[in-house]
Amino acid sequence: MIAPAAKSPAHNWAAHLRRSPLLAFMLIYTVISGGPFLWVAVMSLRTTPEIFASPYALPSRVHWEKFVEAWTKSNYGTYFWNSTIVVVTAVALLTIIGAMVAHCLARYRFRGNRLVRFVILSGLILPPQLMILSLFQILLEYRLYNTLTGLIIVYVAGHLAITVYILEGFFAQIPQDLFDAARLDGYSDLEIFWRITLPIGVPALFTTVTLNFIILWNEFLYAVVLLTEDDKRTLPLGIMHFMGSHQLDVGMLATGLMIAIGPVILLYALFSETMIKGMTAGAVR
Amino acid sequence: MATVAITALSKLYDGGGELAVKDLSLTVADGEFMVLLGPSGCGKSSVLRMIAGLEPITSGTVAIDGKVVNEVPAKDRDIAMVFQSYALYPHMDVFNNLAFGLRRRGIAASEIERRVQGAAAKLGLLPFLKRKPHALSGGQRQRVALGRAIVREPKVFLFDEPLSNLDAALRVSTRNELIRQQRELGITAIYVTHDQIEAMTMGHRICIMSKGEVVQIGKPLEVYRNPANTFVARFLGNPPMNLIPVTIQGDARSHQLRFGGTSLAARCWPAERLSRLDGKALLGIRPEDVYEASPRSGDERLVAITGASVVAVEPLGAETLVVLSLPGVSEEVIVRSGRESKLRPGEHATIQLDLGAAHLFDQATTEVIARIDVKREAGWPRTA
Repeated sequence: MIAPAAKSPAHNWAAHLRRSPLLAFMLIYTVISGGPFLWVAVMSLRTTPEIFASPYALPSRVHWEKFVEAWTKSNYGTYFWNSTIVVVTAVALLTIIGAMVAHCLARYRFRGNRLVRFVILSGLILPPQLMILSLFQILLEYRLYNTLTGLIIVYVAGHLAITVYILEGFFAQIPQDLFDAARLDGYSDLEIFWRITLPIGVPALFTTVTLNFIILWNEFLYAVVLLTEDDKRTLPLGIMHFMGSHQLDVGMLATGLMIAIGPVILLYALFSETMIKGMTAGAVR
Repeated sequence: MATVAITALSKLYDGGGELAVKDLSLTVADGEFMVLLGPSGCGKSSVLRMIAGLEPITSGTVAIDGKVVNEVPAKDRDIAMVFQSYALYPHMDVFNNLAFGLRRRGIAASEIERRVQGAAAKLGLLPFLKRKPHALSGGQRQRVALGRAIVREPKVFLFDEPLSNLDAALRVSTRNELIRQQRELGITAIYVTHDQIEAMTMGHRICIMSKGEVVQIGKPLEVYRNPANTFVARFLGNPPMNLIPVTIQGDARSHQLRFGGTSLAARCWPAERLSRLDGKALLGIRPEDVYEASPRSGDERLVAITGASVVAVEPLGAETLVVLSLPGVSEEVIVRSGRESKLRPGEHATIQLDLGAAHLFDQATTEVIARIDVKREAGWPRTA
């Protein structure tokens, strides 16, 4: 008797061959998405003359001091701080307000709930360019133009739709029995939101926090229209600042970009797994 | 400890054209275990949810200990409920699941600790207090759900099909555990199920519901032995009661029931009631009251029927179900026979119907026709 043989080398090769289109696709995808990042990372450590001499070379000497220079001399500290205030506040507000709205829409049947849902979710399909002029006018009238508060309000309003959309989908999967049980355990509606919906919704909350953070951290259109003073600018505007009208300091631009990308990479590295779980998994097994 | 009185309770859901619960009245005594039994969609869960305060009442009243609670929010009714899905909080460990309801009621931490430990010990949950629900087996989750109700020491327990997610073996042991706990604590309980075995074994009384209405309320065996209509007759008992369409012939004094080639004297039922039946009725007889061979010789309540052909034989181990086709009868008749049934499919057999245990139903209204005591009269129904 011959035991079933291990797969023959020929068989292995066939398997590899079958998988080769997938591997090729993955390789191309990685190069396309990771290549530019790597290139900018390398450039951020080289000076502009070095880059012009040989755009794709590795650094001959690593210029860490460029980061210090960008931070101190180009007002980057201010931009970074502004971005942090705007984005952290906006994301915090979005998470709380969005979760409350999503909880209500998922849990309660009230008069006009379909209208409310339609109004909020219609924000998903409105292109931002359409509203920018009227927003400009409104903020001007309310003396919020050129303020971080104004930008925060615009960000919260603009991203509430997608936040509610993601959270409602998740919250609606939490079994009604849990809410009924909590009611019989003596908890009020608001307490149920804090003690049941939010803790169970953590994976979905991570998803919206990460998503909103990344999008708002990179947001340019509203910021460039609604902020004009240099000390109010956020990071994406600051990066544009490196591109002067007469010259293009490629080296410093790359350094600035790396500083801007940092928090996003960090956030993604920490929460990507939870985020994917939140987007794919059910609420309660 | 409490009585629950439900009066003329009705429920109409938004967008529903028909009442989910119709004019239901029911009183559950202090310490009683009442089972609401019925097929899915009969409104039994709606009743439970209205008692709990989870569903608004369309009309009628629910009173606990004499106090109408229609407008009292769920959290203030002092009711604990065990859900079919158990509804354990997935983000809390077992201890916190048990303690969650107590914390809200401002009970001292030491007392919470004492009650949780007590309930956990009683239900064998002590080793799992630090586990989250997803790390528990189905039976353990069920016990946590029960524990959560017990620690509250409520006035009333509500159970919404709590055993239907358990496998068969676990269901039996948990059923016994539940009965023991309820009897020990003496807390009034209302238990919803569609499982007739649970209803028969657990309830002090059962309330059978159909299409939002109460069909019959009574002690389990009473209801089993004296079904009010064909719905109860078919719903209680597995296999269900055989219903044989019969024609009624006779004058004001004596009637015969005829089916196929058989004719029986209908002396157990009042003649004047039979004469109002339009000549048609249903003869109901439970599978255990049909015999493959005569169990008692000389008992004149036993009626032999010849020429039955065996359609199928289902040996279940402890017993054998024999499906028979009677000559001239469209409905098949099921016989609960001993484990050593000699019958084989295709054979012909003579069976014995125990008319002493038979029921007669009005075919139009499906209501049972009350029997009269004929023992005192001379002679039992005899084949005519």
